[in-house]
Amino acid sequence: MAQLELRGLAVQFGGVRAVDGLDLTLQDGELRCLIGPNGAGKSTTLDLICGKTAPTGGEILFDGRNITGLPEFRRARAGIGRKFQTPSVFRELTVIENLEIARSARPGVFSSLTVFRSRYPGRMQEVVELVELAEELHTRAGNLSHGQMQWLEIAMLLMQDARLILMDEPTAGMTIQETRKTGEIFASLRGSHTMIVVEHDMNFVRQIAGTVTVMDQGALLAEGSIQEVERDPAVRAAYLGDGGNGHA
Amino acid sequence: MNNRFRFDCIGYGLFLGLILLVVPWALDFDGFELNTFARYLTLGMVAMALALSWGGAGILNLGQAATFGLGAYIMAMHLKLKASAHMPDGMPDFMGWTNVESLPWFWEPFHSLPVTILAGFLVPVLLAAVIGIFMFRGRITGVFVAIITLAFLVAIQLVFIEEQRYTGGFNGITGLAPLELFGWSVDNYSLSFYYFVSGCLIAALVLALGLVRSKVGLVLRAIKEDPARVRFFGYDVARYETLAFCASAAIAGWAGMLYVLVLQFASPTYMGVPFSLAIVIWCAVGGRESLVAAALGGIIVNMLEGRLSDLFVDGWTLFLGALFILVVLVMPRGLYGLFQNLLERVTEFYRQARAERRETLASAQSIVSEPTDKGGR
Repeated sequence: MAQLELRGLAVQFGGVRAVDGLDLTLQDGELRCLIGPNGAGKSTTLDLICGKTAPTGGEILFDGRNITGLPEFRRARAGIGRKFQTPSVFRELTVIENLEIARSARPGVFSSLTVFRSRYPGRMQEVVELVELAEELHTRAGNLSHGQMQWLEIAMLLMQDARLILMDEPTAGMTIQETRKTGEIFASLRGSHTMIVVEHDMNFVRQIAGTVTVMDQGALLAEGSIQEVERDPAVRAAYLGDGGNGHA
Repeated sequence: MNNRFRFDCIGYGLFLGLILLVVPWALDFDGFELNTFARYLTLGMVAMALALSWGGAGILNLGQAATFGLGAYIMAMHLKLKASAHMPDGMPDFMGWTNVESLPWFWEPFHSLPVTILAGFLVPVLLAAVIGIFMFRGRITGVFVAIITLAFLVAIQLVFIEEQRYTGGFNGITGLAPLELFGWSVDNYSLSFYYFVSGCLIAALVLALGLVRSKVGLVLRAIKEDPARVRFFGYDVARYETLAFCASAAIAGWAGMLYVLVLQFASPTYMGVPFSLAIVIWCAVGGRESLVAAALGGIIVNMLEGRLSDLFVDGWTLFLGALFILVVLVMPRGLYGLFQNLLERVTEFYRQARAERRETLASAQSIVSEPTDKGGR
């Protein structure tokens, strides 16, 4: 069954149609890369799915349920997680406190009143070791390096354990090794989690492979494997028309 | 983190020792002095209530005095009814002066002490819940919260002044009977009363700390930094904010009830803008990040005020303003921030000294070991 379905999704900012009648279907456990020239509406699409932006047209179905009108926290509870382009961690909180916020299986006020201490062993320890932050548990997140912050946010998404994870340029500012490791983590999540990854780094896209969706001017341009997409003349024209072929 | 927790625990201990042992002893167990200090404790309690929402969740409530005043009036109504038992129809004297025919229906329930105490908590909470739900569902933040709460404060005070027939107007409610609690007639100039007030402060502190130290407190701190991000983890931010706002109102109402017991009258100035802004200053001076520090801020500033207003009758308000400017400019995190920085510097100094000692020790050992190396050759 399709886990996520976008039907004619559209949003307009002033006179600009940032997303213009986008149709997209994702299967359960799929890893989908979303690429396209600057201003194609990739990040806006993620914003629409997670509820940061309200669409002006079309609808979003998650597990067959229409979530178009739901506020963002209800979508998060339904199982949609989001990583932002610039690392958005809580800088005033320590690493372990950030992860405790992310562990949000029971987000209600009254269940939070009964939790006094982060249960460190178990899943949290696993995640922390995976992203190599075990030494920094009590460091204020604001004091971490840029790369570590990116890792922390990925770790937070792992703690949140959302079934659909939306990633906006997860490897921005990472070294080659860090990027490769991110690719490995994504590969391990495939199957159990559905992911949409917006990415500019084509090498990274090749590494994590999966199906690639190309967007241009707010609409779907092409869809297929990375090889198919790279050969597509329309895709080449879109990137060239945008003033450079550096990405594709 | 663990270190910081230890630091906080020492702070709690010192605070307890101070108000339970040092103060009564230093004041020579004098009833009048203890009553004055009990007044400072209740004001420290309101400052703590504000720290809960302002420092804990970033909700700057400029109308904190409204919930305090409601608590105060509710207690005063009960004590006034007790004092008016011999009057015709049991009506308070000021109602007679303004030609009220019979006791208004909303005064009736306050004959009962349990109802009064319950209302002293619930009415402020209800007010906070109504304002809070409307504000936080609308995602109002920052300075707009301050403006709205201030507007509510002014409106509520106006109602209490205008409705003189029911509230005593400008004069407030005076001529109160002493409270009777489980057969104990409260004498507000006694040592036992002082311990009653400090016990209430400690109980409120423990409850508030429970909230702050639970995951609710953590989520609130995250909300203070980035409410949008918190929503993407599935938390209903408006609910958390409303809870903090209501908890703060409950403690403020509690403090208001105690304040009437201390001073034996209720006045609309308890809901005034100057008083409400003063709470903000106490909280800022003590340090809004810590509940105990905010309470201490309230106690310290009011002690200073007590001393200074003896010396300069009107000049102390000038001093209070200057103090606030100084705090904002020089120590934005208040006395708490100042002490924390100091402590961090001291521990850092010791750590460095220890590291240096280890280095010299290591180099001394290498010097010693060198000749033996040569000797071995």
